[in-house]
Amino acid sequence: MSTKQIESLSEDTVRRIADERDEPEWLLETRLDALAALETAELPDVIQTPGRRWTDLEALDFEALVDPLNQADETERTAGDDEAVVLPFTEALAEYGDVIEANFGSVLDPEHNYLTALSVALFTTGTFVYVPEGVDVEDVTVRAEMNSRSLFSQTLVVAEESSSVTILESIETGDGEAAASAGGDDRYFSNLVEVVAGENANVQFGSLQNLDDDSYTYSLKRGVTDTYATVDWIESNFGSKLTRSDIETELDGDGSESQIVGTFFGTDDQHFDINARVWHQAEQTTADLVTRGVLDDVARSVYEGVQDVGEDAWNTSSYQRENTLMLSDDAEADASPKLIIHNHDTEASHSATVGQVDAEDLFYLESRSIDSRTARNMLVEGFFVPVLEEIAVDEFRDDVEELVLKRLQ
Amino acid sequence: MSSQQDDLKETDTEARFEFKKEEKSAFQSEKGLTEETVRVISEDKDEPEWMLERRLRALEQFQEMPMPTDWPGQPDLSEVDINEIVPYIRPDIDKRGGADSWEDLPEEIQDTFDKLGIPEAEKNALSGVGAQYESEIVYQNMQERWEEKGVIFCDMDKAVREHEEIVREHFMTKCVPPSDNKFAALHGAIWSGGSFVYVPENTTVEMPIQAYFRMNSEGMGQFEHTLIIAEEGSEVHYIEGCSAPKYSAFNLHSGGVEVFVGEDAHVQYSTVQNWSKNTYNLNTKRAIAEKGGRMEWISGSMGSKATMLYPSTILKGRGASDNHITIAFAGEGQDIDTGAKVYHNAPDTKSTVESKSIAKDGGRTNYRGLVHIADGAENSSTAVECDALMFDNESTSDTMPYMEINESKVDVAHEATVGKIGDEDIFYLQSRGLDDDDAKQMIVSGFIEPITEELPIEYAVELNRLVELEMEGSLG
Repeated sequence: MSTKQIESLSEDTVRRIADERDEPEWLLETRLDALAALETAELPDVIQTPGRRWTDLEALDFEALVDPLNQADETERTAGDDEAVVLPFTEALAEYGDVIEANFGSVLDPEHNYLTALSVALFTTGTFVYVPEGVDVEDVTVRAEMNSRSLFSQTLVVAEESSSVTILESIETGDGEAAASAGGDDRYFSNLVEVVAGENANVQFGSLQNLDDDSYTYSLKRGVTDTYATVDWIESNFGSKLTRSDIETELDGDGSESQIVGTFFGTDDQHFDINARVWHQAEQTTADLVTRGVLDDVARSVYEGVQDVGEDAWNTSSYQRENTLMLSDDAEADASPKLIIHNHDTEASHSATVGQVDAEDLFYLESRSIDSRTARNMLVEGFFVPVLEEIAVDEFRDDVEELVLKRLQ
Repeated sequence: MSSQQDDLKETDTEARFEFKKEEKSAFQSEKGLTEETVRVISEDKDEPEWMLERRLRALEQFQEMPMPTDWPGQPDLSEVDINEIVPYIRPDIDKRGGADSWEDLPEEIQDTFDKLGIPEAEKNALSGVGAQYESEIVYQNMQERWEEKGVIFCDMDKAVREHEEIVREHFMTKCVPPSDNKFAALHGAIWSGGSFVYVPENTTVEMPIQAYFRMNSEGMGQFEHTLIIAEEGSEVHYIEGCSAPKYSAFNLHSGGVEVFVGEDAHVQYSTVQNWSKNTYNLNTKRAIAEKGGRMEWISGSMGSKATMLYPSTILKGRGASDNHITIAFAGEGQDIDTGAKVYHNAPDTKSTVESKSIAKDGGRTNYRGLVHIADGAENSSTAVECDALMFDNESTSDTMPYMEINESKVDVAHEATVGKIGDEDIFYLQSRGLDDDDAKQMIVSGFIEPITEELPIEYAVELNRLVELEMEGSLG
């Protein structure tokens, strides 16, 4: 597979981005390395079966999508508590340069694939969250608007020993002048998130993507857990024409845990490529992967879940469930839940289903004189309940519910 | 327990599979694969021109296609060098197309199959038995009453000559074309032997038909072709067993199975595969089921160094159905990558897959399966269940299902579990006076029981015996 080289990209572009932000030398070097890696890096793996490529990333025209020097966003950040640091990535470099340098790229190799390398070389926005030892913070929110043709974001979360933090991130398309001037064309949003969870730390990271339907989204979020740490993810995808989302946790510490909750709702010709992966690499680790999605019109979903249990992962528990509900005859859903087990001291299971709204349930509601459209909508809302229940933060749950309702109208 | 079961149990299965005979063959082709080899095979078999042409076309496709290397987690095939394989060995027998009576066979071949219990199985009420030794069928018999009804069971070479029309229409055309995959192409070029089964309309063959394949020579490739045509409303059960003694060089088995399930017909295809642990088992098996047709695949994979086998069914007609039952057992040095493929191409089609796998002593099992529901295949349903059992930490158990759903009015479910043998279970059994080995054996038997319950009795006994054999004394 040959990846596309973007002609308008040069070392010069990257230096300008770094210069404008007054970045330290190490970050410039990292960016330049990432740029150089583009020559050989491959696009993310996509499942292929005889006669069917589940997502066609190669069709993306990066030459047209990527406009590195005109990136614009408007992002509101609330820290929730004074004890935690929540800063725009660039601003944080001045004061927390050492912490950032020590952790940047430790979870997610910038040269992991073509799209991560591109993102690290060109990012201009993002957030740095630092939670000192023993600090407990709720309600860190990062609400971003994308106001340019392309936007690359890089977020780093460092949670020290026995700290706890809940972070909510959302991205949508801005309606300001800048956004309008870039309007009409296709857009590209790239979002990389690294989470470093120290011993006994607890991180919940929720993300809500609701970009307009001219957008293409690539998102890779990865966490690493120390002993007894927990990293929980909530990944909600509603927007974009094409979304490729990867949520990954490496359970490196004994007794650590991860939960990955996913929701998506596709209408029109939206395409969601949703991936949830967990590597069990220590003893007594637990993972729970739950994804629920709804497809209407000619929308299409692709799901891959991987539970990888390493040789040293004694006494592992690992569960995975994926359910897709089809509202339209022309929707398509592909799913591949995978188990890779190298340690026999494991309890693992996975399941996946695809189906439509239950005819009997519908009949029951209609017999109670609820019209069929309302009845169907009630059942779709109900379908999302098991994942909504996993969302501990009211604000986030309300947002997701609201978006579900909006799509049902 | 019936006496039949006792008989089978008493046979020493290990002795049956381990012995090997001096090689003694009438004709052996050169190692490797060239156009010349293919021509020689075809000529030696006196084949019609069209078959030679098909072989040559397949050879061309084989040479063009790359080795499959990019499947996630696939078995290592780097050792498979087709130039090291002797594709065709004709055993030293007088009569082509198989002897009609057991006594007509050369003694050493008789002896081989006696040890495998083939005539015994026939006595035990199978309606026909074909045995393939190296590349050709050496013995075949069909009970007279089936012949009278028009049922045909003969070796494939003979079918090419005597049932040319029907073979020409069905042989690697609609079901498994050589272009399907590299090993199907290889098979198309150098296939030899195998069985042809034809069951006329509304005929039920009440007893199973059995074939046994065996490789006795080192560096041998076996490429038998099985073609089963079950006409409208007919019913047949075909049992295939495979084995080879152990040699140091590797063997290659690349068979092809094509099954045509007519309207409302019912075909059951059972395999016990116990190839020696230097055999690469790279098979292509496929069935096409017409309206209301029912296909059942039952496979037990015990042997081979590496197996890549995914029996598939294309549910072509409305209301067609498919059941898969697979048991895979991987011990030391074995990589059993197996599963099922089902294409729902018509409304009201149903499929179920039940897979049980056991990995121990560093073996690897993988369930790799694909369920595809085409747009318009309304009211289709599929249920896939995979359970895996692991014995130790050197072993690997993977599950890689793929589901492609292009239709909304469907019911799709996939479930998988992986578990270990519980120390408590073993402790309990030991407290009842069983030793460790017996306790584990018993747990494994219990694990696969839901599947063995559904098997024909001879087959279940055989499978249990093989599992016991795999388990014997090998546990710490």
